[in-house]
Amino acid sequence: MRTTAPVIIAFLTGATLVVTFFLNEKTPFVGQLSNQLLDWLIIIGGFTLLLGVVSILRVSWQTVQRRKEGWFYKIATIVSVLIMAIPSLLPVSWSPLFGRFEGSIYDWLFMNLQAPMMATMFATLAFYIASAAYRAFRARTPEATLLLLTATLVMFWRVPIGEAILNLIPGDVPFFINKFVMNGANLAVQRGIIIGAALGAAAMSLRIILGIERTYMGRG
Amino acid sequence: MTLFAEAAFSQEEFSVFRGDRINALIAVVAFSAAVLIFTNWAKRGKPLYLRKIAGLDAVEEAVGRATEMGRPVLFIPGIDDLDQIETIAGISILGRVAQITAQYETPLMVPVRYPLVLAAGQEVVQQAYIHAGKGDAYEKDMVRYVAGEQFAFAATVNGYMMREHPATNIYMGAFFAESLLLAETGNAAGSIQIAGTGRPEQLPFFVAACDYTLMGEELFAASAYLSHEPVMMGGLKGQDLMKVLIVILILAGVILVTFTTKLGPIFKSWFQAV
Amino acid sequence: MSFWERFEGMDRRWVYLMVGITVLIPFIIPMKFPVSVSPEARSFFNAVDSLPDSSTVMLVFDYYPSTIAECEPMAIAGAHHLFQKHCKIITLSNIPYGAPSMAESITRRIAAEYGKEYGKDFVNLGYKYGYVSVLKGMGVSIESIFPTDNRGTPLSELPLMNYVKNYEQVDFIFEVADNATADYWISIVNAGYSVPMGVGCTAVMAPKFYAFYGAGQIVGLLGGMKGAAEYEILLDKPSTAFRGMDIQSLVHFLIIGLVIIGNIGFFVTKRKKRKIGV
Repeated sequence: MRTTAPVIIAFLTGATLVVTFFLNEKTPFVGQLSNQLLDWLIIIGGFTLLLGVVSILRVSWQTVQRRKEGWFYKIATIVSVLIMAIPSLLPVSWSPLFGRFEGSIYDWLFMNLQAPMMATMFATLAFYIASAAYRAFRARTPEATLLLLTATLVMFWRVPIGEAILNLIPGDVPFFINKFVMNGANLAVQRGIIIGAALGAAAMSLRIILGIERTYMGRG
Repeated sequence: MTLFAEAAFSQEEFSVFRGDRINALIAVVAFSAAVLIFTNWAKRGKPLYLRKIAGLDAVEEAVGRATEMGRPVLFIPGIDDLDQIETIAGISILGRVAQITAQYETPLMVPVRYPLVLAAGQEVVQQAYIHAGKGDAYEKDMVRYVAGEQFAFAATVNGYMMREHPATNIYMGAFFAESLLLAETGNAAGSIQIAGTGRPEQLPFFVAACDYTLMGEELFAASAYLSHEPVMMGGLKGQDLMKVLIVILILAGVILVTFTTKLGPIFKSWFQAV
Repeated sequence: MSFWERFEGMDRRWVYLMVGITVLIPFIIPMKFPVSVSPEARSFFNAVDSLPDSSTVMLVFDYYPSTIAECEPMAIAGAHHLFQKHCKIITLSNIPYGAPSMAESITRRIAAEYGKEYGKDFVNLGYKYGYVSVLKGMGVSIESIFPTDNRGTPLSELPLMNYVKNYEQVDFIFEVADNATADYWISIVNAGYSVPMGVGCTAVMAPKFYAFYGAGQIVGLLGGMKGAAEYEILLDKPSTAFRGMDIQSLVHFLIIGLVIIGNIGFFVTKRKKRKIGV
């Protein structure tokens, strides 16, 4: 039953969504079935968000209780969750500091702490890409040389002063890069990967719906 | 219930079947038939050839390296939720990798970003250890919920990499902007890295920073490739047949649209978006 | 160890330091490099510009705060353009982390400049979980997915939403995204309901969307901060993205320089090793 029930549910829901895709939405009973299933997904998804909060609080509290390595930082985690969550859940009518809108504690903490921290982490990518490019772009083989040359041209093309330099070379180099590199080779390769990945995903979905693939359940 | 309400009061005449989606129906039927035919073919014991995928062949070797060095294996099944097919592919590969780490008694660390992935990951790893006869060696903390936010997750995993120096990092699933943060930190920590994702925009970062990269469909083929189960390999062959068909259709379309005036637009109209 | 060998094996932290210094230079010496406009950005601008006045447009905030530098200028420029054309704007988001708040603050601030009224000229629907279910559900009824707006006001009390029931009343989708939700908008909404759309995305994602642009599934593409700067130039409102091009230019040159010098070092070291028979 532990193995069979999930497989049956996967088959029924997957097959329903596939079949209803080809039916008119006005068909009695089955027409709106897929939308109903997707509505249920929204409801279940809401509960999983709650599950994540409960999980992080539980794990952090256990670490603090047992004084495991890094327990002090877990106190900061718990305090952060409570400071963000509690004021945002209280009604705005009690105080403009409550709720999620402009002027609230939640909004202030988000815009002044979390958003800058997220942007900072993303900004570190600039440093990482510089060091990765410096290390990886070596003309070791003909293919690596081609990669290196293409990347250098695109990096030039993508910034104003670089494009101005490329315009000094005879022939419309920026136009060549746009037409034949970005809208030519790049477009073709992206399509190939997207089609391949989509087919792979479809095959995997079919195997899951038919119960052939069960490794995601830990069995098979 | 709205479904019955519409049935009771609908007076309009309409067609049950959506004729404008017949092209999609033909594609779905052809695809399913191809997968099922080759799956059956494989079940009857016919040999099936799969080309070598270097990244997947290196998994066992990479885990062996970790065992020799006495350092853990870090596996990240992507940072998306369990409703994404890439995450399911990553979890499937995790099962295979966990069997190998169980056999070699190598420590395994699996940080996850979503609670459902945590639950699935714990189940998969536990079953893998039991299957390998090392049920006692399984620890619940091997699979850990780290953080729900993308960069908090990346920061925590980076910290782990710099402190514990895992010998092997395996990234299999859906990744976004944090892919380079993870891969570059892993490179700095001296780990051998194998990555696989279906996101074309993240592939360049993995190619630059990892030792092996699985591209697109290779990720979805990994479970079948590592298990060598005939039934799963049959599905791969069916998928390949569809790809050949798509290539033929593309070539036919190019020829018809370029060199004919009537047939080209007719052919093109068959593939209007659904 | 020769200079080239030392440079070839340089600690990555020196690279980080060089990048950091390079980023600071334009703050001290502003450069204002001229920005040319790509065909994809021009096509996007022209598509929005050719919309009839008072068209209904969905301005979608599908980006995390982490990509504010690249995506927010696009959203701001888009809001300016749409309000200039007296379009009715419906904002929403498939991202829970702050996108509804950003949508709220940006649209209200820009709307005030044009004297636009909330509920009549623009509405913020907020966020709902589940990309596929939300996008498909709005094809049937927006109210079934978003019964209230971001502040809890029922849609029936908002004049704009009294005639915008689903995608049939939407004339254009201006999608600003830093993740896979743009793919869902294209495959579900554009493909299923034929609503024209343009995509603004991060520079990392832009190469992928050339495939959709080439197929005509999107009318235009804004790639990264350069794309945002192009839109600002076309709108004649150079702002954050335009100023950011100075920094991007210098860092690109730094990376190119490091790659060139690194390769010189690689070849010098390789030749030296061959000479000594290694």
